[in-house]
Amino acid sequence: MEFHALGVHEIAAGVRAKKFTALDVFNECLDRTIACESKLSALITVTADSGRAQAREVDAGIARGEEMGLLAGVPVILKDNMCTHGIRTTAGSRILGYWSPPYDATVWRLLSSEGAVLLGKANMDEFAMGNTTGTSAFGPTANPWDLSRVPGGSSGGSAASVAAAYTPLALGSDTGGSIRQPASYCGIYGLKPTYGLVSRYGLIAYGSSLDQIGPFTRDLEDMALAMQILAHHDLKDSTSVAKGNIDFSLPMGDKNGNVNLKGKRIALVKDFQDFTLDPPIADAMRRVLRVMEEGGAEISEVSLPTVARYAVACYYAIAASEAHTNLARYDGVRYGLMVNTATSLKDMFEQVRSQGFGSEVKSRIIAGTCLTEPVRSEEYYVAATRVRTLIAAEFGKAFEKVDAILQPVTPSLPEKIGESDEDAMKGYESDLYTLPVNMAGLPGLSFCTGYARDSGPVPGFPSEPTSGLPVGLQLVGPRWSDKNLLDIAFELQKVLGAPQIARGGI
Amino acid sequence: MSDKTSGDALTFTPVIGIEIHIQLKTKSKIFCSCSADYTHDAPNSHICPVCMGLPGSMPVLNETVVQQGMLAGMALNCGIQPTTYFFRKSYYYPDLPKGHQITQSDLPIAEKGYLMIKDDAGNPKRIRITRLHLEEDVGKLHHSAADGRLEGAATSYVDYNRSGLPLAEIVSEPDISSAREAVEYATALRRRVRYCGASDADLEKGMMRFDANVSVKCSDGRWGRRVEVKNMNSFRALERAIEYEVKRQSKILTEGGEVLQETRHWNDAKETTMASRVKEFYRKFIVEPDLPPLVVSPEWVENTRAALPEMPDEKLRRYVEEWGLSEVDAAILADSRDVAQYFEACVTAGANPARASNWVRTEILRTLNERQNQRQNERQNDKQMGAEELAVKPEALAELLIRVDGGKISTTLAKSVFENMLEGLSLDEALTKSGASEGGVKADVLSDLARATLAANPDVIEEIKAGKDVKGKKLKFLQGLVMRETKGQARPEEVAAVIEAAIKVLLK
Ligand SMILES: [Zn+2]
Repeated sequence: MEFHALGVHEIAAGVRAKKFTALDVFNECLDRTIACESKLSALITVTADSGRAQAREVDAGIARGEEMGLLAGVPVILKDNMCTHGIRTTAGSRILGYWSPPYDATVWRLLSSEGAVLLGKANMDEFAMGNTTGTSAFGPTANPWDLSRVPGGSSGGSAASVAAAYTPLALGSDTGGSIRQPASYCGIYGLKPTYGLVSRYGLIAYGSSLDQIGPFTRDLEDMALAMQILAHHDLKDSTSVAKGNIDFSLPMGDKNGNVNLKGKRIALVKDFQDFTLDPPIADAMRRVLRVMEEGGAEISEVSLPTVARYAVACYYAIAASEAHTNLARYDGVRYGLMVNTATSLKDMFEQVRSQGFGSEVKSRIIAGTCLTEPVRSEEYYVAATRVRTLIAAEFGKAFEKVDAILQPVTPSLPEKIGESDEDAMKGYESDLYTLPVNMAGLPGLSFCTGYARDSGPVPGFPSEPTSGLPVGLQLVGPRWSDKNLLDIAFELQKVLGAPQIARGGI
Repeated sequence: MSDKTSGDALTFTPVIGIEIHIQLKTKSKIFCSCSADYTHDAPNSHICPVCMGLPGSMPVLNETVVQQGMLAGMALNCGIQPTTYFFRKSYYYPDLPKGHQITQSDLPIAEKGYLMIKDDAGNPKRIRITRLHLEEDVGKLHHSAADGRLEGAATSYVDYNRSGLPLAEIVSEPDISSAREAVEYATALRRRVRYCGASDADLEKGMMRFDANVSVKCSDGRWGRRVEVKNMNSFRALERAIEYEVKRQSKILTEGGEVLQETRHWNDAKETTMASRVKEFYRKFIVEPDLPPLVVSPEWVENTRAALPEMPDEKLRRYVEEWGLSEVDAAILADSRDVAQYFEACVTAGANPARASNWVRTEILRTLNERQNQRQNERQNDKQMGAEELAVKPEALAELLIRVDGGKISTTLAKSVFENMLEGLSLDEALTKSGASEGGVKADVLSDLARATLAANPDVIEEIKAGKDVKGKKLKFLQGLVMRETKGQARPEEVAAVIEAAIKVLLK
């Protein structure tokens, strides 16, 4: 049986009903993973042994007649910046090369307590800094739709894993689009939840006020199920918000293809209209708008001038300022890379950090250090935090009139591996559609609209029929409207179809 | 020496501001649930991902720290800020696990306070307190180098038990003009933070540490630059360091030199300050993104204010004004809160304030001292012994003192009764054990005792007869003998009267 093609809810239901065992599911998914990994490099660590042990425990529990939880026997993958007790957690960096945390991230505690089984830790841009998964100290990950292209970043490993069906669920983290952009590049669903909805405890920080953990799935019902578990008030994270129990379950009744978006007020951003989009993305925007209109949604425009002009610059100022303080702890004293050739304390810090960090991380640390220097901080860091308040207010005003904004995730389809290495600014410009969402702490859902037809054959992998690259778009809503975004996407899915496993597609 | 001074001797006025770190009294650390009490435990036995700053860990503010910080601020006459933030102060050092320290820094929870001290001339002086802010402590380094310093050490060990302990940093304005004033300020500050229960401020355990900003103003108008002296952890070190620094700076100015603005470290063993060899890292601040703004509600502030006890200075004044004690005695009683409370409970229970003052200052404080030394020798518990731990409750002592005042028992007997009560006996049991019977000694018994005593000491009687007892010493001696015979149960005046009567009979 092809367990890897099943959804989260199907595996959990099957395991609970003893139709198949958690171990069978795990082994089959592991086989698929091993078969694909030589081409994709989506994982840094494959947790075969501990995963098997967890699967056996689930099976044993079921045999004893215990209630095994919503994720009984579901294999999952975590981005490698989420701490797993006793399992190496690297954040894609040489400086944490072989670090095994003595504790679990809250998200993993929540998933595993529902019976999830860990299959591996996903590759990522070093400390989540990047757009391609190419800054990882463990080498780049390939896009499963086209091995010559990037899967997006920084959660590219997690997105590629789900697109290639290693597991039906993986977690990523999104600081400026790091869930939504790779989800779009890999043709799956990726949700960046409202800031504070999912605990960050145990997430190796990049920009703490921007970071948010969220799920990747190929199925919206799976995503709703994952959010049901992850949206949990955590006393260990002071920025976690108690929202009670949000019911994420989707209206599964109407699956006959009738799109119902009556009463949904959807907007386009006027100030984004001048930016050029790749033709497949522009086509997708038009197509989805038509579906929405036909489904009864009210379409309008909102204006976000401050966002359009200042968000990217302010984002990088804040992210770098927070990053350099978050990364100050890697000094070779307590864990991670150490040196024994240092002649002084300062020399030790310098050697560890120059050998341990890659160039992207170094450049952001230096930027953060400069931006927060006492003489400059008022002009840069403090100014950026003030603009951030304006940005949040501008979104707040827009969402008085509309329920969600429809916009691209990126202006272009995935680039070739290595392409943007020389042109850092290209990456920065492409972030306009994703960064402001983090600045204002909003939820953003990336969904697949279909596949571009002009991207040529997929070489080498998978061996099935060729296909075009996936084309994703994004829904952004006011804070705590995560469930509403899933509802809208669920209606769209009736016309657009569900994301395919990366094997050729439509 | 420069000859520009045209013979007039230069004088120098020290200008001193003090930064004091105190450890706030809590069960757990400021941002995690690790125990804050590790005194007898092994290094790195009280650590967790949060206070180690492990990747992915996040701080959660301990509300008791906020409460204790507000209490200390109120005890120092500060105003409380309703909304404040935490910041990250970045620098690299092995004892700083995150590479940044979480601190309130320039947006403190309490500010604009003051403390009254006496200046060197004995006049009241107000020392302004700029602010009190909350922050986390760092770890502790142990170096193998001979001088205990990091540079040149072959091996250094880090103990993170102290990492994350809750601190309040209290910064004064530069209102202090001498080393003596500095010590008085620090002493008064310690008394008040102890009083309100915000901190034990135990210097030996490193719960209170001092840095001083010292500069001197020369009578010819020159002004030396500010020097920050760090690393003092006793009142003596604070005093010596300031004295040394004032002398050093005055000498430089006298010789026409210039005082450099720098950080100097106090070397306790050599009793000198030395320019810091470790270059200070450039410190930068950003808002701590893992903690929301700290908002204290008006109710919380009011409840905290209600929990603030009467402060020692106010107690002292009350003891003098209402109970007629001398200022010196009142100061001794008001010095620590438990003793003051004991004394007040004693008076409230009906004891005469003057007699209660006497007993608390002598018997109670002596007992506390003895017990404390005993504890330390036996290494059972290094916690300061509190008056509330004594077996003799203030109400029981009051009852004993009322009997003394009522003439029912003598002071000598009362002391014996007190000793027995300290062993856990009730007042009645202790009276019996001390051989006291209710109502003292009957007059005829006393007369018999007096006569027997006189008969047993014919030589003394002879001397009195010969008129040699000019100062009444012999008479007192005989009185003492009788008192001893009665086991102190007789009233001294009665004994005196009986002896005088008996001698009169003999003289006839
Ligand atoms: Zn701790």
